[in-house]
Amino acid sequence: MAVEIFNPNPTIFAPVKSSKVSSKTDYLWLADPLEETRSDAEEADSEEPIDQDEIFGTFQLLFASPKLIPIDLIRSIADPEHPNTLEELRVVSAPQITITGNRVHVEFTPTVPHCGMSTLIGLSIRVRLLRALPNRFKIDITLKPGSHQSEMAVNKQLNDKERVAAALENPVLVQTLEQTLANASLRGQPAEE
Amino acid sequence: MEVDLPYRIDAVQELPGHHDRAWHVAWNPAKPLISSCSADKTVRMYTYTSPTNSSAPTFSHIATIPTGHTKTVRSVAWAPSGNTLATASFDANIGIWEQEESEEDEGRKGEWECASLLEGHETECKSVAYSSSGTLLASCSRDKTVWIWEGDAVHPDSDFECMGVLMEHTQDVKCVAWHPEEEILASASYDDTIKLYIDDPSDDWFCFLTLTGHSSTVWSLAWSPKSSYLASASDDKSVRIWRRVAEHKWECALALEGNERSVYSVSWGIGKSSSPSLGWVAAVGGDGVIRVWELSENEDSTLRQKLIAQLASAHGVYDVNSIAWCPRQGFEDLLATTGDDGATRIWRVQPVA
Repeated sequence: MAVEIFNPNPTIFAPVKSSKVSSKTDYLWLADPLEETRSDAEEADSEEPIDQDEIFGTFQLLFASPKLIPIDLIRSIADPEHPNTLEELRVVSAPQITITGNRVHVEFTPTVPHCGMSTLIGLSIRVRLLRALPNRFKIDITLKPGSHQSEMAVNKQLNDKERVAAALENPVLVQTLEQTLANASLRGQPAEE
Repeated sequence: MEVDLPYRIDAVQELPGHHDRAWHVAWNPAKPLISSCSADKTVRMYTYTSPTNSSAPTFSHIATIPTGHTKTVRSVAWAPSGNTLATASFDANIGIWEQEESEEDEGRKGEWECASLLEGHETECKSVAYSSSGTLLASCSRDKTVWIWEGDAVHPDSDFECMGVLMEHTQDVKCVAWHPEEEILASASYDDTIKLYIDDPSDDWFCFLTLTGHSSTVWSLAWSPKSSYLASASDDKSVRIWRRVAEHKWECALALEGNERSVYSVSWGIGKSSSPSLGWVAAVGGDGVIRVWELSENEDSTLRQKLIAQLASAHGVYDVNSIAWCPRQGFEDLLATTGDDGATRIWRVQPVA
């Protein structure tokens, strides 16, 4: 891990309530380890519509197909250099996710324009979605336009499947990624004490 | 999407077996063999029967090489002799594979063994290619270099010595491809350019031309089988055709559009056209569609393209990572593709009745 802290004092925001959350029914999906999510998602690889709240981390209720695990979330991915989630730092937010057919586009905003962690954050979002979404989805991840001084370079790297594949064969990098994803299944809920 | 095209792409056979993404496929130029490689670190080989007019060939699995590469095997290439296979791996090495002679069973060959391991690249190797004579091998890597290796006089297929390290690209080099007759090498890169190299007999290999025009990563290159056209596939969703206008000069002659996502692979085959043509160009990528264009020269020698066949969802919902025309005579209508589903699929391009 890098020792340099790119943004020593980030602004932290309160999580945004989603219009669709109802904690009463959450138990159905609460403890879904990544592996199960993946296999169930594959089985349910049918043309179920999803919306950006699902990707962001809340649950769509009343699914027509009980097999379709509400897709996954990125809101509880940990920031690589702060004890906060990407949602708390406003790196990701529901309005920055667009779904067009089978294409999922996630835009994210680094806390500072020189953030050296941007490729790692983008990679963690990609890995989370790759593991959680049915295979039919094509995922594009980009920085919010104008939010980073190396925007084009970061975007290109994040969307090069060969570089992503090679990165995921690097044990040190994977270990760092797993740390950012350790609490990703909390889906915006507070961690158990 | 539904357009009347003169050819259709028929599924011949699906060859499953890789446990992870299948990256690349290569037809043996001399024998009925085809090999694919994967993130599962193996190479799988299949043999096939001869097709008749009414029926397509049948493919059967004959060997799996575990390879010993410690990371993804990204690409495979056959020597022109058909006796040797080269592998390029994310573990930064190039493997050279030969089938050992079996002592007991005459006529039948034994296991595929690693005849040589070419070390030198610093990071992931992405592509490897044999020159038309089989004496030269080129490899490329994320370390931004292209290496040229020369076969040993005694063991030309397996012993290689590095003849040059070309450091022309500013980013990863994604693909290397040799001209089908001359000793001209082309490389494609994440820096959006294509570079062409020749050997200076009194000095070293050098880059004599840089082709610019693509607006993003160039993933794949294919020379035309009988002439000096070069096709390139890019993340900018286009395939470009480059024409040789002088001995050492190429210019962009045409762009083939239509892909909706990155184009990962392009292959140029002789084709089975009834009219004179430069052959068939096939391309695949992130949109999962196989597209085949026929290219021909007009009387004023400008280039003409025609989309003659296309097939969506070639590997279901998955990306298609590579496509290759069978180079053997009589098999010019056969295509192979590999995808993120781990499968290799064989296709036959046939006229619509």
